[in-house]
Amino acid sequence: MITRREFLKISALTLAVAITPEGYKIFRAEEVPSQINPNLWIELSKDNYLTVLINKSEMGQGVYTGLSMIVADELDFPWERVRAKASPAGKLYIDPKMKEQLTGGSTSVRNMYFVLRKAGASMREMLLFAASKKLGIPKKDLLAKGGFIIEKKTGKKHPYAEFLEEAKNIPLPKEPPLKKPEEFIYIGRSLPRLDTEEKINGKALFGIDAKIKGMLYAVVERPPYFGGKPLKVDKSDALKVPGVYDVFPISTGVAICGDSFWACEKARDKIKIKWSESPLMNWNDEDFEKFFLHKLKEKGVVVKKTGDPERVFKNSEIVLENTYLLPYLYHATLEPMSTLVWVKKEECHIYVPTQWQTSVIRSAEKITGLPEEKIKVYTTYLGGGFGRKANVEFVEEALEISKKTGKPVKLIYTREDDIKSGYFRPMNAAFIKASADKKGNLTALSFKIAVQPLLGGRASVEGLEDMLYHIPNLYVERVDVDLPVTYWFWRAVGSTHNAFILETFLDKMAKLMKIDPVDLRLNLLKREPIARRVVERAAEISSWGKTPRKGAVMGFAYHYSFGTHVAEVAEVILDEKTGKIKVPKVYCVIDHGPVTVHPDLIKSQMEGAICMGLSMALKEAVRFEKGGVKNTNFHTYEILKFEEAPEVEVEILNSQRPMGGVGEPGLPPIAPAVANALFWGYGLNITRLPLTPEYVKTLLTRKG
Amino acid sequence: MFEIKVNGKWYKVSAFEDEPLLWVLRERLGFTSVKFGCGIGVCGACTVLLNHKAVRACTLSIKEANKKEILTIEGIPSHHPLKRAWIKYQVSQCGYCQPGQILEIYALLLENPSPSEKELTEKLNGHLCRCGTYVRIKKAVKEVVKELKAGGKK
Repeated sequence: MITRREFLKISALTLAVAITPEGYKIFRAEEVPSQINPNLWIELSKDNYLTVLINKSEMGQGVYTGLSMIVADELDFPWERVRAKASPAGKLYIDPKMKEQLTGGSTSVRNMYFVLRKAGASMREMLLFAASKKLGIPKKDLLAKGGFIIEKKTGKKHPYAEFLEEAKNIPLPKEPPLKKPEEFIYIGRSLPRLDTEEKINGKALFGIDAKIKGMLYAVVERPPYFGGKPLKVDKSDALKVPGVYDVFPISTGVAICGDSFWACEKARDKIKIKWSESPLMNWNDEDFEKFFLHKLKEKGVVVKKTGDPERVFKNSEIVLENTYLLPYLYHATLEPMSTLVWVKKEECHIYVPTQWQTSVIRSAEKITGLPEEKIKVYTTYLGGGFGRKANVEFVEEALEISKKTGKPVKLIYTREDDIKSGYFRPMNAAFIKASADKKGNLTALSFKIAVQPLLGGRASVEGLEDMLYHIPNLYVERVDVDLPVTYWFWRAVGSTHNAFILETFLDKMAKLMKIDPVDLRLNLLKREPIARRVVERAAEISSWGKTPRKGAVMGFAYHYSFGTHVAEVAEVILDEKTGKIKVPKVYCVIDHGPVTVHPDLIKSQMEGAICMGLSMALKEAVRFEKGGVKNTNFHTYEILKFEEAPEVEVEILNSQRPMGGVGEPGLPPIAPAVANALFWGYGLNITRLPLTPEYVKTLLTRKG
Repeated sequence: MFEIKVNGKWYKVSAFEDEPLLWVLRERLGFTSVKFGCGIGVCGACTVLLNHKAVRACTLSIKEANKKEILTIEGIPSHHPLKRAWIKYQVSQCGYCQPGQILEIYALLLENPSPSEKELTEKLNGHLCRCGTYVRIKKAVKEVVKELKAGGKK
């Protein structure tokens, strides 16, 4: 890990990007004032490599590639000589907008785009000034291109590195000229990802791969139901397993340490634990359902009230209401939670696949008593994140175990541990009611949700209270639920349920109104030209309204989240005998703002979000038995498989407005698009997920 | 003491008799490219070749693998058509499941250089990818199979 002091020693040209009270600033590394905390470093080395030290976690979204190419474009530097590295963690590296070192909320590129361009341009200008001085040629007769300073008259080429020493003494240009869009060499192009080769040659290091000589392995046995704590532990038989070091209770369960993972696992089978009782310990699926539906009848917090929906309902001919119930969802990162931690007297080292370094540090300060500067966090590659790896309970467990044993400890969750630990997308029950006039408008909409609140409840109603559809009378109420089941952010968060409920309900209204669902959306988006264009293009590229492929039905959905508009059209085939659903093709149109940095990364994010959203729609629900998770591995908590992945056609649109995110917004529309296809094609009134064959058959019978 | 050959080199290693090959490879020999995903043989992340056949290293004991030959992703050269296709289609996202996916198809192609779509689908259905790289895996694998068929005809 490179520290700030070491940066200054390296004979390279290094710039730092920092947020100050006046906004973003760029500094020469030597001149960063001590009170300023840069969050990104850009280094051009003597051997002519550009290294970008990135404060965001690479979890598959391609952030190392995306951010580096913005710098490399303005610097005009050859892509094959660009390297990206994980920055260290700490106050120096916090995201200026979120005030945390956190990768989430689909923010990385949109928060950093302009300042990274300015940094690249500053470095380019400094090199030009330096070259002009050293070569004795006026700056206007020089050109910076492809990693070379070129003498315009003679065509003679000098690698940038030739001017590093001089450039270090050039003052930072105040307003370096930024390239015009037509001068971009990378922005807008799909460059090869920087991490592909490591990932297919087995060299990429994930959290679970970290290693220190002499480390212990640890596993944690957790309570069989949420809300339990270990009361009594009989470890006598477990300690007889060769290689087992110790067994002891920690905050979340019982830790088993040994010199190999397998020794820990063998010992785990031999411990006898008495757990404290929990109010949930006899709850099965039906109990959760009853509880949430009951909660929905309680009075909650009014989040939004415009006009008077109740009065409008009374005077309307077209009124509809539905109650929805959606399950807890598991993140299912392929790399389970895992970290290597060493709590020493003087300092603490943490190797971790985390999305939230600041939270890791806060936990380490609390558990070790050490100050921030003694806590070294090394961010590894993340084998999937999806929000789950922004939670740090696994790091806290490892810290407790290492503190107690005094040894480096690698904690590994088995798949069962990973599911049983929870931190799910929260379950919820919701009531929705709307009325319409005869001109194709919704006149009022009322929505109430009972859910465990995220971000103080704000995230739980996102996509509703801030929806772009124009409905003159709107009411949103939230009932906060308190349960020992742990819950957390899951890719696209509140929009995963709210978009499903709103978008499927819109189609049910459209049918009552005898209007095409795309037309209904266009009516409701009259004041939103960008959203309208996204809806229109999705209809066009999917030949909406024309005859779909044989046996297929089509469904439409649109949602705005994380600053980005996405419309998706799903082609759905239902086998009425078996209740099985196949989605051969999805059309996706995205408008994420003014600039597309890397079209193929956006495309891969849309493909991935559609697969995850389709998985949620067709297969996923955490099931409970006696207050604990019943489906504890992939044979029972199934996720989308290879043959179930649809062909995805993506169209990217740009519009002049602040940049939106791309990691999450592709997910919310797919589940309602699939459900809407089944609604129009087969009359299924879907109010629950997942669309398992059993549920679909029940709906088919009900209809008949 | 057990003996296994990994990527052409013999290793002696002591482990529990029932210890899965996965953990022996990862922890005792340092082949961390072999990934832990489920421990029950359903996700495919731990796939390696054992005597030229794809196996799930998480459910195969070191005792069963003793004296046998193992191939991991490091043993497939960078210029292999599968790896080239993976780069061409920019398949990987988080990358965690990718060695297992590639090794599965590598093993299938050893056995049968022109597998049917049904055979490919059957094999790949056993490999979970949460990032949703399936769409691209399909493209990459189809191209390699096509390439091999064309090569075979020459």
